[in-house]
Amino acid sequence: MEEQTPQPEPSLFERMRKRLTPEGVPADDRGRMRMVMESLILHIHPAKVETTSMKWTYTWGLGGLSALLMTILGGTGIILINNYTPVAPQAYLDILEINSNVWFGELIRNLHHWSANLLIVVTVLHLIRVFVTGTYRPPRELNWLIGVAMLLLVLGANFTGYLLPWDQLAYWAITVGTSIISYVPLIGQWLTQLVLGGPEVGANTLLNFYSMHISFIPLAIFGLMSYHFWRVRKDGGLTIPKSSKQTEDPKPERVTTIPNLTNREMIFALSWTAALLLFSMLVPAPLEGIANPALSPNPAKAPWYFMGLQELLLHFHPLVGAIIIPSLAIAGIFLLPFFDLNLKSVGVYFRSQRGRALTVLAVGIALIATPIWVLLDEYLLNWTLWLPTWDTLISNGLIPLAVIALPLILLDDRIHKIFQADTEERVLFIATFLFTAFIVLTLIGIYFRGPGMNLYLPWNMPVVVH
Amino acid sequence: MTERNNMNPKSHLIESLIGLGATMLIAAGLGWYMLNEPTRIVSAQQEVLAIQLDEAMTLYAENCAICHGLNAEGIGATPALNNPALVTMPFEDIQKTIARGRYQTAMPAWSLLDGGPLSDYQIDELVLLIQHGDWAETGNRVVNLGLAPLVPFTTEADPALLEQVGALPDGATLQTAVQLFAANCVSCHGADGLGTSIAPVLNDEDTRAKTADELTRTLTYGNTGTLMTGWSNTLTPEEISALITLIQRWQEMPLGTIPAPNVPIPTTEESIALGSQLYATNCSRCHGPDGQGTPRAPSLNVQSFFVDRSDQAIQQIITSGVPGTAMPTWGDRMTEAEIQAIVGFIRQWESTAPEVATLTRPGGGGPPWRNNSTATTQTTLFGLLPINTTNPTISTHANGSTQTSTLLDWRILLLLGILLASAFTLISKGLHTLARLKR
Repeated sequence: MEEQTPQPEPSLFERMRKRLTPEGVPADDRGRMRMVMESLILHIHPAKVETTSMKWTYTWGLGGLSALLMTILGGTGIILINNYTPVAPQAYLDILEINSNVWFGELIRNLHHWSANLLIVVTVLHLIRVFVTGTYRPPRELNWLIGVAMLLLVLGANFTGYLLPWDQLAYWAITVGTSIISYVPLIGQWLTQLVLGGPEVGANTLLNFYSMHISFIPLAIFGLMSYHFWRVRKDGGLTIPKSSKQTEDPKPERVTTIPNLTNREMIFALSWTAALLLFSMLVPAPLEGIANPALSPNPAKAPWYFMGLQELLLHFHPLVGAIIIPSLAIAGIFLLPFFDLNLKSVGVYFRSQRGRALTVLAVGIALIATPIWVLLDEYLLNWTLWLPTWDTLISNGLIPLAVIALPLILLDDRIHKIFQADTEERVLFIATFLFTAFIVLTLIGIYFRGPGMNLYLPWNMPVVVH
Repeated sequence: MTERNNMNPKSHLIESLIGLGATMLIAAGLGWYMLNEPTRIVSAQQEVLAIQLDEAMTLYAENCAICHGLNAEGIGATPALNNPALVTMPFEDIQKTIARGRYQTAMPAWSLLDGGPLSDYQIDELVLLIQHGDWAETGNRVVNLGLAPLVPFTTEADPALLEQVGALPDGATLQTAVQLFAANCVSCHGADGLGTSIAPVLNDEDTRAKTADELTRTLTYGNTGTLMTGWSNTLTPEEISALITLIQRWQEMPLGTIPAPNVPIPTTEESIALGSQLYATNCSRCHGPDGQGTPRAPSLNVQSFFVDRSDQAIQQIITSGVPGTAMPTWGDRMTEAEIQAIVGFIRQWESTAPEVATLTRPGGGGPPWRNNSTATTQTTLFGLLPINTTNPTISTHANGSTQTSTLLDWRILLLLGILLASAFTLISKGLHTLARLKR
């Protein structure tokens, strides 16, 4: 008698696994490519990638690292929310509690803190990488705009998060940082009132910043991030780098995304996670005494990434230093892809050999010129004293701005005439110069400004004790 | 089907090893951290407590020491805080007492909500100090901050004048009151009740015009919000009523019945020399080289300073400092002999002291932004090259050491070297390439 051997019923676990995860990675290229095509997550990659765009030294993995950091920030942030009350002074007590009475509390907070700071550095480096390789040119202008918007949002997220520990460091950095808002013409006072929820940083500010920090800003970043990834694919994937000597496109070699790209991404993410984890275990995030509105530290400094702005404020009329220059800078960054259009050099670092030389030259000049100008303005130039009857907006704002802009324009003109630099190389030169100058100003602000915002050498920094 | 893995096997191996290494690092790191976590939490809690106690000690010195004493031993009728009963008292009870004050005592409300200067967090820290603090260490903090309260001094009534008082009607009561006043009240209300800088005059018409009931109430329960504490714990009702009698009949008393102690400090040539040296090193920075005074501290070389101020009074000021001013407590840094030497040195100015102090004020006074050329403060370029600006700056270190660095400091040379070398290398490299490209 023939007995039908009953097929063993697959276990519950087996059925779940079959339904939810693919049955192993296919052994053939076609199967792997289909796997990418059919997966929503993997679909941010093409089925095949060019080997040249996978080189570490082309992208440095900066975009991926930003995404990894955002993920870490989201994860640690959710844990922190559960241990935090956005009410002064309970907020500070909660941070003490997280540090001293929550398992892994300090580690989570350190991870969140250092990831957030690293994120700023990484997103700025990502912007620089895209700029120097000129990959924001058509058809990628829109993605450049999204990227710059995300950089601004990241700065906003960092700034709103800075206040949340409610210690002296947070309170006064935010007080200094938000004082910049009041220089906005016409609506400055009203805007400050709106952002702070009152005349000065207080309990309402903490709540405002907390709400922005945990809802609007992360949501906006998440939305824009998805859009950013999608546009990378829509715009034809990563630009293919060409060595500057090659004139025509060689047929690029392509390999399957699985395992070539996914492996690398996994290794990259693991290494950075390990590095961040170890760093956070060893270096605690700063925490000072509870916020005390009656006791301002000397000097009161903004968060480190705004120290370049604060340094500008020391040299210019507030309207120029805090509003006009930053607005022009942001507008310039937004507009870059619309007047720097040469498609031939897309994907080439520094555009050309001349571009590379000009970049080097710009960095060198800015390294010398910026400290000299800071010293001159600190100790010798005194526009308001020399032009006592003039409005300070002109005497201490527009005149120094013109004095700085004029040599820059002349320099640009010389470079154009003598070295026959074209538009894309001139854009590279000017932007490199201004960016280096801004970095130098930031470093001066962080390390060389002491009590009364006077200049001191870092190892001679006086400490004002209350 | 051949696997089209274009990576060469070597780099594939390296990358796999990196991945494996990173995974193991994460696992090992988390494991180590987890094992260490209980210890870390304990030490973190101790650290938080230490920081809060440290802040509380400063708060105690600034706000509480003047009434509750250097080591919380209590002054006069103000209760001691080093009382073991407070350690077991519920946290909230102490916190409420500090925040809201205690009715009918000198204890005011300290909470910001009740018009006081302290936040809830600071009040919590003070409760921690009361329950877990080290009062000896707190006393050191108070002294180091120069906020030690005046040690209450007492005097003896003048014997001859006390006899006269005895001859007045109800003289025995007055005599008792005089002795009580000399033992308890003179330190604040001054000789003959004429008042001091910290407590009002009692020997005047206004006070005498008050009813006995009102005075009794003030003496018994104190005056909330002032240093005047309730004396009902220290003095009996009879003693209080005797003091009221004294206050109301003070005009009958001969002046000098309750004197301030005044025994001139003997001086020698050596002591004057020592005093001069100590004055120059410790006092002249604030009080001026010849005691003229500066914007930081009052003039000493002036008649108004010497009139009615005994050597004991000056010694008292130097020893204990003046609370609420920049005058620190010197008693913990100098011996009694040294302080007396300074008093002797200061006293010898009296014969030549002017009626009006010749205060040395840079720029001849006026608001700082209207300073004339003599008022320019010297600031320095990085503390190195002197440059005149009109901005007042801090030119010395917090520890008072003067900067002696020169331009030849190796760190400056290193910084300038790196900056100039890298900048000029970049510029020359750029220009070189550009020149080559042009040809």
